[in-house]
Amino acid sequence: MSAELDRSMPVLTKADPPAYFINYTITESQRTNVSGSNGALLDSSEARNRWLEAQIRVGNYDVDNTHKVGGTQPAYQPSPGTNVPLEDDPAVIRRAIWLETDKQYRNAAEALVKIKTSKEVQVQSAEEHAPDFSREKPHTSIAPHIAYQLDRRPWEQKVRNYTAYFRQSASILNSIVTFNAQAENTYEVNSEGTKLQYGELKFRLELFIQGKAPDGMDIDRYYNFDWVDPTQPPSDEAVMAAEKTMRSELENLVKAPLVEPYAGPALLTGRAAAVFFHEVFGHRDEGFRQKDINEGQTFASKVGDPIMPNFITIVDDPTRAALGKSVLLGTYPFDDEGVPSEKVTLVDQGVLRNFEMSRQPLNNFPASNGHGRRQLGAQPVSRQGNLIVESSKPVTNAELRRMFITEMKRQNKPFGLLIDDIAGGFTFTGRGQPQAFQVQPLVVYKVYSDGRPDELVRGVDIVGTPLIALTKIMATGDTPEVFNGYCGAESGSVPVAAAAPMMLISEMEVQKKESSSDAPPTLPHPFHDPKGSQNGGGQ
Amino acid sequence: MKVTRKIARVHCSRIANSAPLAISLAFFLALLPARAFAQQNPASSNDHTMQAMHDELERSRTRLQIPGQLKPFFIEYRLVDLDVRSVTASFGALVTTSTTHNRYMDVDIRVGDYKLDSSNFIAGEQFQGFLGSAGQVGVDGDYESLRQDLWLATDQAYKQALTTLSQKQGFLQSLARPPEVADFSQEKPSNHVDPRLVADWTNRNWEDEAKKASAVLKNYPDLTSNHITYTLIYQTYYVMDTEGTTIRVGRTLAAIEAGLDTQAPDGVPMHNFYAAYTMLPGELPSADEVAKQLDTRGKQLVAERTADPVSAYAGPVLFENRAAAELLAQLLAPSVSGSRPPLSMLPMYDQIVQARGGRSEWLGRLNSRVLPTGATLVDDPSAKDAQGHMLPGSYGIDAEGVPAEKVTLVDNGMLKDLLMSRRPGQDFAQSNGHARALFLGDALAMSSNLFLSSANAVSPADLKKKFLDQCKQDGRQWCLMVRSMDNPGIAGFGEGDVSDLIAGASNGERVPLEVYRVDVADGREQLLIPGHLQALNLRMLRDVTAIGNDPATYSYEQSAQAGVAATALAAFASSADGVPSTVTSPSLLFEDIEAREARGEMRKQPLVPPPPMN
Repeated sequence: MSAELDRSMPVLTKADPPAYFINYTITESQRTNVSGSNGALLDSSEARNRWLEAQIRVGNYDVDNTHKVGGTQPAYQPSPGTNVPLEDDPAVIRRAIWLETDKQYRNAAEALVKIKTSKEVQVQSAEEHAPDFSREKPHTSIAPHIAYQLDRRPWEQKVRNYTAYFRQSASILNSIVTFNAQAENTYEVNSEGTKLQYGELKFRLELFIQGKAPDGMDIDRYYNFDWVDPTQPPSDEAVMAAEKTMRSELENLVKAPLVEPYAGPALLTGRAAAVFFHEVFGHRDEGFRQKDINEGQTFASKVGDPIMPNFITIVDDPTRAALGKSVLLGTYPFDDEGVPSEKVTLVDQGVLRNFEMSRQPLNNFPASNGHGRRQLGAQPVSRQGNLIVESSKPVTNAELRRMFITEMKRQNKPFGLLIDDIAGGFTFTGRGQPQAFQVQPLVVYKVYSDGRPDELVRGVDIVGTPLIALTKIMATGDTPEVFNGYCGAESGSVPVAAAAPMMLISEMEVQKKESSSDAPPTLPHPFHDPKGSQNGGGQ
Repeated sequence: MKVTRKIARVHCSRIANSAPLAISLAFFLALLPARAFAQQNPASSNDHTMQAMHDELERSRTRLQIPGQLKPFFIEYRLVDLDVRSVTASFGALVTTSTTHNRYMDVDIRVGDYKLDSSNFIAGEQFQGFLGSAGQVGVDGDYESLRQDLWLATDQAYKQALTTLSQKQGFLQSLARPPEVADFSQEKPSNHVDPRLVADWTNRNWEDEAKKASAVLKNYPDLTSNHITYTLIYQTYYVMDTEGTTIRVGRTLAAIEAGLDTQAPDGVPMHNFYAAYTMLPGELPSADEVAKQLDTRGKQLVAERTADPVSAYAGPVLFENRAAAELLAQLLAPSVSGSRPPLSMLPMYDQIVQARGGRSEWLGRLNSRVLPTGATLVDDPSAKDAQGHMLPGSYGIDAEGVPAEKVTLVDNGMLKDLLMSRRPGQDFAQSNGHARALFLGDALAMSSNLFLSSANAVSPADLKKKFLDQCKQDGRQWCLMVRSMDNPGIAGFGEGDVSDLIAGASNGERVPLEVYRVDVADGREQLLIPGHLQALNLRMLRDVTAIGNDPATYSYEQSAQAGVAATALAAFASSADGVPSTVTSPSLLFEDIEAREARGEMRKQPLVPPPPMN
């Protein structure tokens, strides 16, 4: 990579238009996938590949080929990269780099011409005058190559067993369990002098079940385990406990009544609050959104303003590997622009202070804070890592529940809503097109002020801008909970974590969500068929 | 936009919703009988696949009905067990290697009756179920999980069928002349259970072979890039339906596909390709043989960089046997099928098929002359090659479970028959066992092994003499000869070239790979930059001046994707998205064909010179 960088840079900096920055990344991946469904093995495979990405910027740091003009589509249509040999054959790898460099240079040069034309004919907003690329110090870090050794056979049996359990329930129409292992070694050089080599190791087990309420509404339950130490997978007991909970939640949700329109106090468990903050706050605080006029630019002018209660502080800290016993999935040593990851205080005692920043600067935030991230093949933008919500006024969860009931009574409401699980873009939302920042409560209980037992309801849809709910946080619990997931956005899917304590919100408005038109299956589950499952049953 | 995490099942694309993205590993396909070579599966006692299919089919047949709605009159379960080994190398270095084993199912349900049912219709809006009627299933061959998967897919297929039939009936009401051809043919059920296939990658080291074969291209530093992919596929294909058909057959394919790229000094991108298809991995050519082939193509491509372009030409063109077979693959694909096209609510569908040259030129022309007098065209799904190996297009039972028949399409130049699936057409109502499918995609009437021959064939020497005599008569110094045709499915075209190709598809524009200028005086051959041939439609075959007696077999992958199948682009697939097929043809002499320089997009040479190759 360095040899090609040294050959390309002198030529391309003298070309018209001149290149001013070149970055080469080769990502070597080793992946294992073992999945099962309904008691059988679906897939068991291991793959290795090396993927090359070349980034060429032409123009200069202020205006380059990535510049966005107005609300138009970006002019720059980069290549996602290409496979390169698994073997260290320098001649063949160099040839691939050479070709990719040429392709990317052409794309970049073509884009810059278009951008210069549009800039002359369109009015630009203030944020669009911010430079296109930040200047950063070069970094050199060479860590050892990592790999894992894994026997897939035990996992093949595990996924069979884990999904076979779900067959015991007539309400569970379908189940899928997936085990993934992934070792990624990144090699990166750029024309500013950065030279990096580092490895990351991740293991994941995902459980997913699907059901249908009598009116056809899809009921899904999802749970995942993440770990980074190969000797520390979740125990069968822990997995079975999660499965039992998923099963009973699904069975109860299938039978649960639909929610009635409601406005009143709501209590979010830690995991639900974590997802809520990731979707509602974390995404809106991504630096690049403040620049893009197609985005709400929600926070662009609010730096220094209070945006939530003063006992809430939010940091994004990709340098932190764990919170309590939970690993944090959004941990990384360098971001995907070669910048070291940094802990950033986004909200300090309720006041907006900072954004998650990539190398795409804002007027008052000229530098990256190590949050430029992407899925292989996509262009990095500012993304979350580990979003951690902290509270300076914690009470015990039991005390919080008492406050919840007191608040219901104060507002004269017979009940409040306890939201135990929320689906967002980085949790599992099942099929269909997800919407940016949309949050969908999945497990919701009515908690009665008169002490009746909690009652599960389904079909809950939050009305209005969820952002308003952030200003109505009354108090928080004392135990942070972590949600790990893969978050999909403009630069693809990246691993992230969100952590938050339980939260009491004084008012949340909900309505009934629309249900699916696909009715439950016409015939019963073959193993829960009262007429028998053989030969048409009872024939 | 956010993208949700998915652990959703892999779904086969169906005719109306197929998208390029859906072409995943699931679409690896081979369609060949291999029972002669199959090994008995030692663990077959644990294989409950057929029992599970039978029991769920029977439960659905007797009991599946939504009150107040039609009961299915036909339910078909298809399942494929797929082992795939794939290796890619470039310039002697290994790029990717994988071995996978997966299983997929597809459920088809028809409501209505054989005359008018829920099929053959592209609806504006499809039933959106929570799982779909196709998907990945467990590889264990266990009873319980397959019952459960089939149960859900059956339910979804039933709801799809009900929705489609009601939309179709509504659409038919709006037509002044609804089609009179039936939707589905009635056939005798067949019962044919071969042993399950067990993948045998042989003792050849495929990674080493791919590296060794492509290493020869290091000798051509003018090549910008290249790739060679070995794809070995074993599949066991199951069909079971409510008419009583029970099928389990093995189908295998071994493929080598290589593409070579360069750029002429003036910036025109150029390429060449090599492909070999056999039924079994052990039959593939050796690494030395492949290296030799790649070496020839590398040499040729480098020579082409500095060759003269084809200039505007109209006159005699000689297609050597390989080029003739490749041309026939393109010309015949839209016309050999006698099945009715699907009805579509979407005018766009018809437009796409039309624009890609997908209209049959033979429909309604039964008993008229379509080829020169003396010419015969046969499709033979049981054909073998000279060494006694089954040709890669061979199969015994088709994708709908109908036994394959040898069909004489053209006899003495007259159109006599067409290839049929269970989808009837205006001339024929019954299947002749030619339904072929891309994995579990829609089964379409397609060719397998086509053979063109003539009672009036002449020797290659006589053919060449005729060619040059004709040129002399026309007062020419030189004429064009085509040695091979291009294949973008393997060579890997640039974007501009592909849109050029699509644009030309409806008016018979064809892309040759090797074109020579033949000097009339001394027969000397000079390589040209190939350019395009124009207005070369199936009708031109009627007026072929002479046919050789030098048949050559061309093996290729025929596209079975909606929108591309049975169009002028049908011959351009690869082992990842095609159905193995062959065409055997002698050399053909055409009296008058137009050629022109390609409009190919010229790009600047890279500013940075290439890095050293060693």
